[in-house]
Amino acid sequence: MASGAGPTTLPHRSVTNIRSGPSQGPPGPSSPHTPPRNIASVYGSPSTVRADDEIIVVEIGSRFIRAGFAGDSLPKATVQCGPEQQRRAGDFRAWQTLARKPGQAWAAEHEIWRYDLREVDTGLVRDKLDRLLRDAFTKHLLLDSRPRRTALVLDSDLPVPLVSAVLDTVFDRFQTPMVSLLSSATMSTVAAGTRSALIINMGWSETVITSVYEYREVKTTRTVRGGRFLLDELYSKLLVPLVTDERQQDNADHVISFEETEDIMCRLMWCRPSATRLSQRDSAQLETVEEQDESDVETPTNATPSTGTTQVPFNSTVPPRTVDVAFESLANVCDDVFFDPSAPAASFDDHELPIHMLVYQHLLQLPIDVRAICMSRIIFTGGCSAILGLKERVVDEVSSMVDRRGWEPVSGKGAEKHNQKLQGRSAKGSPGETSPPEDRQIEHILNPAFAEPEYDSVEAKIARHRYHDQPIQGKLRALHSLGPWAGASLMCQLKISALATIDRELWQQQGSLGASRPNEVDFKAQQRQSMGAGGLIRGSGGHHMNWTLGAWGAA
Amino acid sequence: MAFTAPYTYIQCPCSSDPPELDPGEQAAQDAIESDDEYTFDPRAPRANYSLYPLEYLLYCEECQEIRCPKCVNEEIVTYFCPNCLFEVPSSNLRSEGNRCTRSCFQCPVCTSPVQAGEIPNEPDPTLLGADNNPAAHVSYALFCQYCNWSSSEIGIEFDRPSGIPAQLAKVKNGGEPKITAKDLKERRKENPDEPPIADNLVDTELQFANLKSFFQNQLSDSTGVLGNLSLADGAGFSSPAALSRIMTLYTAGRGQPGRQRGPPDTMREAHSTDDGLRIAKLDESAEVKKLFRGGWDETVSREQTLAQLEPARFQDELRPTQCTLRTKRSKRCAVCRHIISKPENKVASTRFKIRLVAKNYIPSISIRPLKPTASGILVGLRPNVQIEKPLKPLQPCQYIVTFTNPLFESIKVTLATPNSTPGRFSSRVTLLCPEFEVDANTDMWDDALRDDGDLKRRDDSNGQAEAGKIYERGRNWVSVVLEVIPPSLRVENLDLTAKPGEAVDKSPLKEDEDILEIPMFVRIEWEAEAQHDITGTAGRDKDAREKRELAYWCVLGVGQISHE
Repeated sequence: MASGAGPTTLPHRSVTNIRSGPSQGPPGPSSPHTPPRNIASVYGSPSTVRADDEIIVVEIGSRFIRAGFAGDSLPKATVQCGPEQQRRAGDFRAWQTLARKPGQAWAAEHEIWRYDLREVDTGLVRDKLDRLLRDAFTKHLLLDSRPRRTALVLDSDLPVPLVSAVLDTVFDRFQTPMVSLLSSATMSTVAAGTRSALIINMGWSETVITSVYEYREVKTTRTVRGGRFLLDELYSKLLVPLVTDERQQDNADHVISFEETEDIMCRLMWCRPSATRLSQRDSAQLETVEEQDESDVETPTNATPSTGTTQVPFNSTVPPRTVDVAFESLANVCDDVFFDPSAPAASFDDHELPIHMLVYQHLLQLPIDVRAICMSRIIFTGGCSAILGLKERVVDEVSSMVDRRGWEPVSGKGAEKHNQKLQGRSAKGSPGETSPPEDRQIEHILNPAFAEPEYDSVEAKIARHRYHDQPIQGKLRALHSLGPWAGASLMCQLKISALATIDRELWQQQGSLGASRPNEVDFKAQQRQSMGAGGLIRGSGGHHMNWTLGAWGAA
Repeated sequence: MAFTAPYTYIQCPCSSDPPELDPGEQAAQDAIESDDEYTFDPRAPRANYSLYPLEYLLYCEECQEIRCPKCVNEEIVTYFCPNCLFEVPSSNLRSEGNRCTRSCFQCPVCTSPVQAGEIPNEPDPTLLGADNNPAAHVSYALFCQYCNWSSSEIGIEFDRPSGIPAQLAKVKNGGEPKITAKDLKERRKENPDEPPIADNLVDTELQFANLKSFFQNQLSDSTGVLGNLSLADGAGFSSPAALSRIMTLYTAGRGQPGRQRGPPDTMREAHSTDDGLRIAKLDESAEVKKLFRGGWDETVSREQTLAQLEPARFQDELRPTQCTLRTKRSKRCAVCRHIISKPENKVASTRFKIRLVAKNYIPSISIRPLKPTASGILVGLRPNVQIEKPLKPLQPCQYIVTFTNPLFESIKVTLATPNSTPGRFSSRVTLLCPEFEVDANTDMWDDALRDDGDLKRRDDSNGQAEAGKIYERGRNWVSVVLEVIPPSLRVENLDLTAKPGEAVDKSPLKEDEDILEIPMFVRIEWEAEAQHDITGTAGRDKDAREKRELAYWCVLGVGQISHE
């Protein structure tokens, strides 16, 4: 990381330039504010107020679309994109009682898009979005075709062609006059009430870790260990051997339908507590501390509650049958997918790091101030974070890694030797790997980061006058967020305008090529424009304005 | 791809924009487009989004175009509850969350309607609940008539059988009262030093309300001094307010000691539960244990969670949901804004004031085998569908395609099909008579009274499958014969037909790939009375005829091909 060395002096500066978040939310100290607006209703005519009031918030992920009105705490509609939704009009086979034969098309036909654009037909994506949004709007939001402002919550890594497919759909099909783009990580931060956070989004296609600092996305890392991977592993490692006798051949039809596999994943998946947590619980239960080595992390100890099996009915197999699924084996799959304890740390490729390692690496690579703030604001979002016990396990694993290794960017045998040499020189004792607590103490002495600062009377005086709430930092803490949709709903209700606000006319004239870079845009003008009552000012200055896609980049 | 072949689907012309391709392919595509050789592929994934049965389509008389559900604008006529059929005024809509507030609830397990009923007070096995003491306190619960679910399973019971929504909103599952932001505020007023409530008591709604009030406070605080200065009443120093503003610009900092040192105009983050901060509940061992105990049956299926407002995991987290309202919508043409469909306002009425369905404007196309294999079904068993035997691969078979003309003018139909259907398994298609005329939809008696001159014209039908000739002709319909040679569905045989050097997709058969579908381009021409009602030319060419044409792709679903 190039930014790893430099930013220790002035982390904020360098960090904020990396990627300016789309939420211009509470702007920096210099920018002026407009008070939260209640005035509009006084001046505007009733009709425009109503149309203006109803900002529709739409969150689009790779599996789900959530849609609702700004100001609600929950979306009105959550629609999913399955093969049943992709049938022709008037094809009612989805309602026939017979279970669908599990075909070979697996996850792909349940997804709205993939980020790998080689596999994506943007026209098809547009059609899918069109149908799903239409469905949500007519059935759940009960909207007519009048134009309404829309806020779109998207992952900030969504490729520009997909962003433009989304915008095309929203502008062409739904006559939206103006669209704000909001990044889901920032919105999760908002929905937790914080300004900075480490968002661990355990989504469908991958797990993305984004550190948000002062509402700006600072760094993003990712791993394929997400829902799709879990589902595939669950299917191939656990369910297929249960249902069939012989091994499944490649390219053959699936024996269990995608829906049932996913159902099992959502209903039954759980995650074992980490070894350290387990030993703590043991000690609490048995009052005798069992010595545990690192080596038997993955073997379940006797003290775990008797797990047993549960009976799961399968309708899509031929013939339909009921199978006993052991909870232990489910946890094994979960362990392998998210933590992979059996493989050595060096064997992972960049795109498949286990979650806890990825979190650690991510924090390690952050500038120290950002790290301190972010590590005590960990937020889990995404479907897989609902797996029972998974959040605790991740936090425990990370904290044990921090305990073990500290925040040393260099590790390995060479580094250890070097450390030992240093320790040998300074401390007279012989600290080895066998006594980690001592080791850490010495490290505390060695490492200037842990050194007690000298008492400075001037500094203390300043500190007394300083803003009294010091933010909590430096310890691992997980926060509960209401999720990106709720965050966007809050933002829109408070009339905080997004950085990427796109006008319909401009988009239809220019398309994604017209977007300029975020720093070339006059936000104040845009803010004034988008917040003006009923868009009265829009007509006048609209055409000369620059607009941007914000974090989604410029083509 | 309705399962019961034969069927016909029509592609709405609004979606026939050229498919988007990579730049490389685009050039090739352009060449094709210019030659009008572009063939619609009914099996392409996008085709599912543009094909409609004839009954789904509307027709705009002004634009003289087919209008599908995608290319109309909708306006809502009424909102109503599908359960109690009560109309809901649109002003109540937002506050009620698009749901019926009159005790219409759905069972969370099976989605059928639930009803409030008395809970049998003392479950006395000897009495069958007939003679309970009337003085005893009676409580009520919601009961599902279909699956026997009752709300006492989730620990919710009511004092009164009426006003269920209000009662339900106050209780959490398990019977504990729900804490709302309003309650908290009142409690805070009474007892200001009370610590904020525990995190596990905070639900989504409360946290959202807390966050909202927190952000609102912060925004108004931070904009209090400086914000008002810059934007309150625009630029200019003419007003006394502006003067005082300039004065405070220099004194504000010193005047307010609290603001001076700290960063005055950034919002802080949430610090406590009252600000909306909630520490994540990491220890889920209780839930894990519950999962072990309850197993599969204790958890909630995908459909059930999707129907819930908040995602649930266990059965006892399910709540009955209020029925979502439905709407009656009128439809306008997106191009000319004319109303093309308008239902009656009354909820219970199924009639329409205006409805321009496409069936009255474009010919309906039906297809049936020339030599049906399925025997006819007795009248008594009529709703049954007769299922044809699967088509034998590589053996020609003939079908009768019938065009019925709904117009009062005779139409000229021109058909075109590709020689071989697109897709991996392509069939050979021959239309024996691609051009013909269909007579007008005149009165039945007119037909009988016609003179011989017209009858002569019908001689081109011969009741035989012969090239260039119509198979059969009636008053306003014409049948032609279509000959199909279905392909063999064996993946191994794909090599034989593939061009050399081309990659062959040898994956096994996909869903619906065994159904023979034929894309057909239909072009209709007819002469209608000119519509110049408004313009001045109306008087002059009153009986001027206007030539009109309509062209679209349709898909004929012929039948299933046998897998032999």
